[in-house]
Amino acid sequence: MRIITHTCPACGTVVAANQLEDSRVMKCPGLGCQEVVRFEDLPEDAREHFLENRDRYQI
Amino acid sequence: MKGVVLSGGTGSRLRPITHTGPKQLVPVANKPVLEYAIEDLKEAGITEIGVILGNKGRDEIQELFGDGSEYGVDITYIVQGNPLGLAHAAGCAKDFVGDDDFVMYLGDNILKSGVTELVKSFETGNYGAGIALQEVDDPQAFGIADVDNEGNVTELIEKPDEPPTNLALIGMYVFSPAVFDAIDELEPSWRGELEITDAIQDLLEDGYEIDSHIVTGWWKDTGKPQDILEANRLVLEDTELNTAGVVEDGAQTDGCIELADSSVIEDGAVVRGPVSIAENTTIKSGAYVGPYTSIGANSTLEDIHIENSVVIGDSEITTNGRIVDSLLGRNANVGSADELLPEGRRLVVGENSQLKL
Ligand SMILES: [Zn+2]
Repeated sequence: MRIITHTCPACGTVVAANQLEDSRVMKCPGLGCQEVVRFEDLPEDAREHFLENRDRYQI
Repeated sequence: MKGVVLSGGTGSRLRPITHTGPKQLVPVANKPVLEYAIEDLKEAGITEIGVILGNKGRDEIQELFGDGSEYGVDITYIVQGNPLGLAHAAGCAKDFVGDDDFVMYLGDNILKSGVTELVKSFETGNYGAGIALQEVDDPQAFGIADVDNEGNVTELIEKPDEPPTNLALIGMYVFSPAVFDAIDELEPSWRGELEITDAIQDLLEDGYEIDSHIVTGWWKDTGKPQDILEANRLVLEDTELNTAGVVEDGAQTDGCIELADSSVIEDGAVVRGPVSIAENTTIKSGAYVGPYTSIGANSTLEDIHIENSVVIGDSEITTNGRIVDSLLGRNANVGSADELLPEGRRLVVGENSQLKL
């Protein structure tokens, strides 16, 4: 199963795609980081792959 | 070599203690379980550490460890979110790990011998992975490895009816980056998780050699209250304990006692080690603290007889009774009902608590 992550450009915290997709837009979970991270920050192919296989990322 | 420490999971078997925080921060000998993992990695020379966070206790864990500099390591946080299995957790660390090998350490595990030998053993060959094993009495209850004469793993079997060996996988692994290709190919298991044992099995089938290292010292998975008490006992027995605080004249002490410098054992109190007492705690007259007990910070004990127990901290325990084999959560208070009518115990007990009265 392809595992997709996004790295916050401000603090380096890594966020899994399932977490990003859950909230779509979220404050970076890095403590004290004010950056906003979005599911849309992922490359298009990663987003498409995730959405096509969405069920498997909810197991 | 990098390190990846897993600290997700719900901690459901440690409720009510874990209603307010992650299980990896439950203290053993007054130190959060997760801290032992970080220290073990550092001791093995691994200072670049990814800490995998689940849904619970993210902020608490980040508050405690920060960027790792206080521990002499460099920590990157990796938010896994939902617990989709150990292989998913490892997969989330792919960008962090890059082309390095890495140790994966379950953050609620604690073991005497650390990870140094496991890493050394892995580095003697050209392995796809290395796994830590320990002999167990009930192999049917574990993931079991079969190994050849050279210590190379030949097969992994989850909870076998007819185990080929009694060598159980414990929560420590070393991986080459080849594991990420194996994880890419994985499908969720019957229980709906990406299983790390499946990834290792795939590495085997792809022709990689898998090293094994048998851990002989104690190892504890601290998932349940009983395990916390047991780990607390093992750590207290094995650790050098320093008495920095005040032991008043008239206090009786023997055995090894760790006493923080802001804490006091007062005249008339009895403490028999091994015991650990954290900061700003007072053991008052009439109290007895027996072996294998850890008392957390900002607590007061009076009149109570307590042994083989863990008091997490911020507690007042002032009743004239005996507490044994117990785990008391933060800010839990136990007073006396002697003067109260009608006669009887008074309890305010949280969800999922367990009492034996
Ligand atoms: Zn950030």
